[in-house]
Amino acid sequence: MRIACPFCGERELGEFTYLGDAAPKRPSAFAADGAEQPDAQDLFFDYVYLRDNIAGDMDERWYHGGGCRSWLTVTRNTTTHEIKAVGAAPGAGAQKPAKAGATS
Amino acid sequence: MAEYSWEAQSPLRKAFAPGRLGLASGDAGVAMTEISDFNLVQVMARRGLVANVAKAAKKAWGVLPPERPGAAVGKGATLIWTGPDQFFVLSVGNGPDPVSPLAAIFDGMASLSDQSGGRCLIRLSGARVRDALAKVSSIDLHDAVFPVGAAAATSIDHTGVNLWRRSDAANGSPVYSLLVFTSFADSLWHTLADAAAEYGVEATRTPLS
Ligand SMILES: [Zn+2]
Repeated sequence: MRIACPFCGERELGEFTYLGDAAPKRPSAFAADGAEQPDAQDLFFDYVYLRDNIAGDMDERWYHGGGCRSWLTVTRNTTTHEIKAVGAAPGAGAQKPAKAGATS
Repeated sequence: MAEYSWEAQSPLRKAFAPGRLGLASGDAGVAMTEISDFNLVQVMARRGLVANVAKAAKKAWGVLPPERPGAAVGKGATLIWTGPDQFFVLSVGNGPDPVSPLAAIFDGMASLSDQSGGRCLIRLSGARVRDALAKVSSIDLHDAVFPVGAAAATSIDHTGVNLWRRSDAANGSPVYSLLVFTSFADSLWHTLADAAAEYGVEATRTPLS
């Protein structure tokens, strides 16, 4: 499997580290008015431990630690390893990459 | 305040052996050179200030920092892409404080960190240098895709390196520079020397010029 880093170009899997599902968003322990969320424990349990086991296209976070050290969002088919899109993860670098590549 | 007197040591003091290595007959196919006496500072543009950083660099060295993997040779420094919105400034010197002059140039637009003692600089050239590198790197070094001025942040033997191509040598052979963390330098030198041994290696040391 190879990933086309939007900053570096196409590289082999060994240069990347897998984090996992890009979907989970850190919940807040507090409501907008500052009061404690009554279901905060459940929300955090879900955020930390519970993952969907997707068979098909999945948005994932990958880290190009063996290259430019950027976090990437990779859309990968978990059954075929086909990669449909690669882009910079939110907050990676201060400017948008010139082009995002896709490869399998 | 205590006075310290640091004695600079080569990060290759265990691995480096001057002279000929591997194939002993004919011209050495690969020249491996440890480059010393350089200042290396990492520049990371602060969010939203990439254009300001580029302008300041252009004013200081006459070249723009590469926006894509590449190395730009300016007046007094080479700017090497290391990642989005960040680059190395490589220059001749071995002073104790390479950051202050850059802090004046970038004036709060970028975060700076001194890497002079943190990296080892190795130069590779020779008629068979590409054959040797092909064994250990997956980067395509063909002229068409990796011309003079090209650069890559990549891994060789599971070790992160910054690789770029300098102007060709007088004899026409390509010249590559490589920065590696000092603690991995001995190991990487061995790997490179092993890959190049069948072509004959000439190992030397020289200050950056
Ligand atoms: Zn990259």
